[in-house]
Amino acid sequence: MKTRVIRRGMLVAIMVAGIFPGCAPKAQSSPRRIEVTARRFEFAPAEITLKKGQPVVLELKSTDAAHGLRFRELNVNVKVGAGGTTEVQFTPDKTGDFIGHCSVFCGSGHGTMALTLHVVD
Amino acid sequence: MTFAKHTVFIRNKSQANPLPSNATTWADGKEAFSHYCVACHGLDGQNTGVPFADHISPPIPLLTSKDVQGYSDGQLKWILDNGISPSGMPGSKGTLSDDELWSIIVYLRHLPPAGSQGTPEMYNP
Repeated sequence: MKTRVIRRGMLVAIMVAGIFPGCAPKAQSSPRRIEVTARRFEFAPAEITLKKGQPVVLELKSTDAAHGLRFRELNVNVKVGAGGTTEVQFTPDKTGDFIGHCSVFCGSGHGTMALTLHVVD
Repeated sequence: MTFAKHTVFIRNKSQANPLPSNATTWADGKEAFSHYCVACHGLDGQNTGVPFADHISPPIPLLTSKDVQGYSDGQLKWILDNGISPSGMPGSKGTLSDDELWSIIVYLRHLPPAGSQGTPEMYNP
């Protein structure tokens, strides 16, 4: 009798978990991956929205010269060689708009290369 | 002329440097300076190794001079953004980011001793 009750209870729990998957305990989520292309003198995309506390991997791809991407306030700085790809993982720990700049001098428009991160709750 | 430059022509006197003056910012400024400014000012900001420094008019000033150091941080940023006409000093707005320009000003306030950084690579035989 007791065993039947336990089995029914487990069955109900499995069904509930199937109907409401959001209620089941989540496994550790993998970092969100975002590809960013750098070329003279722009980043694409030029704006990205992130969630505070959510780990992210920025994959920086250069299509011409060496470039970099630095967010001073977030302590993020990544550099990529000409035509290369590199990545950096970080977790934004504060909300706000943060403007990243190319951190490797790449020519006359270098100072205009910017990418804005919107970090929201 | 110097008085006029300091009080009339060069604007932005009251703007403060948003970056902290520390070793990290100084190193950032030195790197940015080495990309864009060394051709005329040398690695040390004192024209070391610049072959034409004494042969143009007006001559390239030593960045440690009282005339240059007498500008406020905001005025130095204005000069870096806009240049000084008709001298050979070009504006670099767009060529360097605001972040880099402010870090250069931290470097300018603490320039290394004259000659200590050697000659810019472009002038080495």
